[in-house]
Amino acid sequence: MKIRLRVIFFLFTFVLAVKAQDRLSIQLDFANNLFNNKQFYYAITEYKRLQFFDSTKTFNYEINYRIGECYKAGAKYDDAVKFFSLAELSARTDDELFDSKTQIIRTNILRRTSDRALQLCDELEKDQRFSGKKDQINYWRGWAYIFADKWDEAAKSFTRINSNHELKKLAEQTGKAKVSVTFAKVISYILPGAGAIYTGKFLSGLMSLGWNLLSGYWTINSFVENRVFDGVVVAELVWLRFYRGAIQNAEEFAQEKNLEVSNKSLRYLQNEYKGMKP
Amino acid sequence: MLRTKITNRLLFVILLVIVPLTTINCQLATDGNILSSQNRLRFGNYLYHEKDYLRAADEFKEYLSSESNDTIVFRLANSYFQIGRYTEAANNFKGLFFGSQLSEEARLMFYESVFFQNDYKLFRVLADEQNFGSSLYGKDIERLKYISFFLDNSKLPEENLVLKNFPDSVQSRLLNFYQQKKFPKLKSITTSVILSTLIPGAGKIYTGEVGDGITSLIATALTAYLAITNFKADHQFRGWMFSGLAAFFYAGNIYGSAASAQIYNARIQFNFDNEVRLFFEHRNYFLPKIDY
Amino acid sequence: MKIFNNRKILSIGIYLFLLTLTYNLNAQTDWVRWEGKETSYELTPTHHHDYTLDKSSFGMTLLSALRNTYYFFISDLDGDNCPFEPSCSAFFLQSIKETSIFKGSLMFADRFTRDLNFFKMTDHYSLLASRKFSDPANNYTLHSAKIKF
Repeated sequence: MKIRLRVIFFLFTFVLAVKAQDRLSIQLDFANNLFNNKQFYYAITEYKRLQFFDSTKTFNYEINYRIGECYKAGAKYDDAVKFFSLAELSARTDDELFDSKTQIIRTNILRRTSDRALQLCDELEKDQRFSGKKDQINYWRGWAYIFADKWDEAAKSFTRINSNHELKKLAEQTGKAKVSVTFAKVISYILPGAGAIYTGKFLSGLMSLGWNLLSGYWTINSFVENRVFDGVVVAELVWLRFYRGAIQNAEEFAQEKNLEVSNKSLRYLQNEYKGMKP
Repeated sequence: MLRTKITNRLLFVILLVIVPLTTINCQLATDGNILSSQNRLRFGNYLYHEKDYLRAADEFKEYLSSESNDTIVFRLANSYFQIGRYTEAANNFKGLFFGSQLSEEARLMFYESVFFQNDYKLFRVLADEQNFGSSLYGKDIERLKYISFFLDNSKLPEENLVLKNFPDSVQSRLLNFYQQKKFPKLKSITTSVILSTLIPGAGKIYTGEVGDGITSLIATALTAYLAITNFKADHQFRGWMFSGLAAFFYAGNIYGSAASAQIYNARIQFNFDNEVRLFFEHRNYFLPKIDY
Repeated sequence: MKIFNNRKILSIGIYLFLLTLTYNLNAQTDWVRWEGKETSYELTPTHHHDYTLDKSSFGMTLLSALRNTYYFFISDLDGDNCPFEPSCSAFFLQSIKETSIFKGSLMFADRFTRDLNFFKMTDHYSLLASRKFSDPANNYTLHSAKIKF
């Protein structure tokens, strides 16, 4: 009899608990379905609904994490970081804690607040609980450097994972393909147009040189013929203008070339790279 | 032994009755269905208090599709109002005009919704309509009507008529705005042009562009001087070239003075509009805060 | 134990604070329905002269061709000298398009003079993200309704 009573009591409470939990699980599945179908705004509504009715906070971590992912998918990075932070606070295991922290790093990378992402990587590295996850930390550190356009540092980060890492090779290639902005400017000070030629803009460089030679000739000729006022006007309004222009163009062309090199690699990473992305 | 048997059976019966009842109670607490009307209302109210108005509006709409509740209709309308969807807000507030305990508040909010659509002429026409008027908030609506005169280009009514609707503490400030609107300190385009015709750059200095005026004067004078000296030195080409440049700067200076006066006046208007709008926004347009 | 309790209280406090902050913040984001959006990884390139020909009329096509010639032989080589946006050459074309060749020329003459002024009243112009002063042609057409600040 006692056993019978206990069994009945146990069965009723079990069914009760399972039914309530069932409804919340169904709601979670519904919200996840909306997320998988890329209806992020509505997914957030359903996650919030689940959170409101989940009085025991059983699903708190999953809800906050998922809402963070929804905002990240909608490029609302400030909100994404906030919810990943909440997920971090409601993490129950070290793995959940690490996942939420890496999501914050990834969101900072996409938000182009690379300094903050690098700072968080350093903090993670110092945390003894994650001493076995150094590869992942270095991976995201590398990505943070990529988005900060620091390809040499990115290569170093990927080397720490594996000296033959695909991204290490890409970062090194990108770094090598860039030109020196300072060098372009300096040679343009010495010979106007040389900087443009160094960066591959031959026509622009030659035209710049031509204008400088022509205006230089006019200026000198004016002074030689004692037309001082004319000489000053030509020097100020023509020669100096084209000389300054040559230096500005050298800097601009070098920066543009470097930008195009970076963008080529970034396009590859966004469209063709098969590994994990921010 | 018999006593134990009876106690055990009694306990069993009690459990048989109580446990299902508690199960049903728990089901009621979650209402068996998270998406039921009552649960939507609870969730909607929660979102409303969290200022997540668009989501709250969706929940309230679902609730109202099967239930009737004036407070929720008001909250739905207010949700639209808060997120700037004033047309929908106005339409929903209209639904509470007759036969509702929130009729007076709904009428006030309706007028606010129309006001914030920035069609002040329409607002004033509706404000004069007796059908939509509110006995409780009539003065607030009347005040809003006079505020609208400051915000558009309509002719201002008499000073006393406008100012009597506002508290004493803001009378001097409003009087200042009234004077600025009625008698703005504008610059005359004709004066500016005449000044620049007589002395290049003078028109620009008159409109406050001192640097531009002086540059105009120097450019015109210098090129004119160069033209004269070149003609005197029998350099015909240069003489005509500098004459052309002098004419270019002179004509540009006259046109620029007219444009400068016009931009000056537009800037006066723009700054006034901003100042007035900030003044009223800071005071919530002298409207009472209503929420349910 | 005391340290543990303090940490727990602190983390609960941070959680509650973040919770209130978050809901107030993201409520504003979600006042409009939004869709998923992919951010491009690419860095933004610098601004260049627009060489597109204006084919709205023969005159405009001719003028834009002349403008392109000026860009190619002179403007692209003498550096970035104009503090205004649009540049003087682009302003000239915009002025002619908005008004007429005569009025456009007068507008350009005025703009050129203002460009020469070293002591510009910089508070009379809005500063754009490109660090140039906004000076669109429609502000100088003598139609007050077209003026925008």
